Amino acid sequence: MAVADPIITLEGVSKSFGATQAVSNVSFQVMPGRCVGWLGPNGSGKTTLIRCMLGLARTTTGMITVRGHAIPGDVRQALTRVGAIVEEPRFYPYLSGKANLEVAAKFVGGDAATRIDWALERVDLVDRSGSKVKEYSLGMRQRLGVARSLLNDPELLILDEPSNGLDPAGIVEFRRMIRSFVEDDGRTVFISSHLLDEVQKMADDIAIVQSGKLVLHGSVDQLVAEGRQSMRLRVDDPVRAEETLYRLGLVTGIEQGEHGNLELTGERIDDAKAILITRSLVEAGVGVIEIARESESLEQRFLEITSGLPLEGEGERSS
Amino acid sequence: MISATLRTITGRKGSFLGGTTFVLVTVVIVIAANIVLHELRPGRNPSMGGQGMLDGVGGALFIFGVVVAILIGSLAGSYDVAQGTMRYLVITGARRGQIYAARIVAVVLAVLLMLVVPVALGAILASALPHTAADSITSGELVDYVWTAVLFAVVFGLISMGIGSLLRSNGPAIAISLVFSIGFTPLLLLLYSLSETLGDATLASSLDRISGGDDGLPIAVAGVSVVMWVAVFLGFGAVRVHRDEY
Repeated sequence: MAVADPIITLEGVSKSFGATQAVSNVSFQVMPGRCVGWLGPNGSGKTTLIRCMLGLARTTTGMITVRGHAIPGDVRQALTRVGAIVEEPRFYPYLSGKANLEVAAKFVGGDAATRIDWALERVDLVDRSGSKVKEYSLGMRQRLGVARSLLNDPELLILDEPSNGLDPAGIVEFRRMIRSFVEDDGRTVFISSHLLDEVQKMADDIAIVQSGKLVLHGSVDQLVAEGRQSMRLRVDDPVRAEETLYRLGLVTGIEQGEHGNLELTGERIDDAKAILITRSLVEAGVGVIEIARESESLEQRFLEITSGLPLEGEGERSS
Repeated sequence: MISATLRTITGRKGSFLGGTTFVLVTVVIVIAANIVLHELRPGRNPSMGGQGMLDGVGGALFIFGVVVAILIGSLAGSYDVAQGTMRYLVITGARRGQIYAARIVAVVLAVLLMLVVPVALGAILASALPHTAADSITSGELVDYVWTAVLFAVVFGLISMGIGSLLRSNGPAIAISLVFSIGFTPLLLLLYSLSETLGDATLASSLDRISGGDDGLPIAVAGVSVVMWVAVFLGFGAVRVHRDEY
């Protein structure tokens, strides 16, 4: 497979359960070496599509290729270097964490058994690897699930809600681990999560699915940049400031608050616009006491896209 | 893959270690009963070991060995789907057919492991403990004893595995396997009232024939009949495993 070839390709993929259309005509590609966030409300078809990608479920129509191999026809070759967690990591609870990995390694074959200690170390589970899995917390099982998915030295990791059950410190550590997989190891990570803030910090690209349909696919930066943006200003002369800003025509709305506060909204208030706004205000003799640019968070964009309703609330401060 | 599957089966303490211990205990009880009866009334029970002990141990193994084999087999069939580990076996890239084949071999090995100590204990003590010449055990009888214990347990273990593979829960898998093996299999003997050939081809008759029974189908045909019975259940299980979505 050439470097530039997509590691996952979906073309017109649909999946039905009886009369229920779980996934509808989804097409997109995942390029290697990227971390892709796979987002959608509960029941939107996220896990169904992941199961189809892994050959656990059959598509009704459409074509999936993973690592250049068709699924499910060539699933064995496709999964040779794919690791995954689907829904939640499941183990033999009466065996130790290490014994579970030893069992998995026998099924993976090759030199998987030689990676067990390394994988346990990678997820910081060496000390508890001898304990039975039934004694593990959900967070430990998640980490053991990641360790299991590393046994075949995967080019591609498909992780379905892997942050479930992790405490805040665990989530931060998990994020570091995922970024390390991408940046240090050059692996591709396809991760579904409902922790949108986490995905924003972790993923390079995102795809949003709703009611089985792909509604958006692009880079995180691009998605956030395309959202509503605003500036909060505190000035000594709000009336003159408002006149000046309307004359500029750079903003779509101005709202006056108390104590000289102004909230400006616009489609895309980039650096150049922000400089022009402040410069114009100063030249008009308006004293600028405080200025902050705000943009919608991924969470707000997600809710806006999936609910169709703009969300009131604070955006993330980016400058 | 076989050793890993065997590890997952034998690691289940309730079904495997508990079952193995239970069978061993029943065998020990039978042996102890023979010894006590001999000591209490040597006139009526002149042999401590011998044929009498071997028959008693064989009977215990026939009943309890089969029950534990059903438990082992049905759980081996259903556990991975019920527990959610099956999808992780499939994700390894292993062929579903390979996973299933490994499970078949592992069930046979697990049943043999479960039986080895109680069968050996019964054979050794029945031969070694004092007995009369009339109660002495021939090598052919020892072979029959081992063959019968192993045959019934392995056959019902494999059939139960096929039944378990058709189901997604452990409880129903065990229950249906027990009902089929202990309830339905003897009921099939009613087919004798329709046709002697049909009756001979039932699982119970065929097993009886190849474990030393005198009546029924020729031994080779009875053997084929048993294989067919096992193959039907394992076949349905294999189709389910191959087609299922996890």
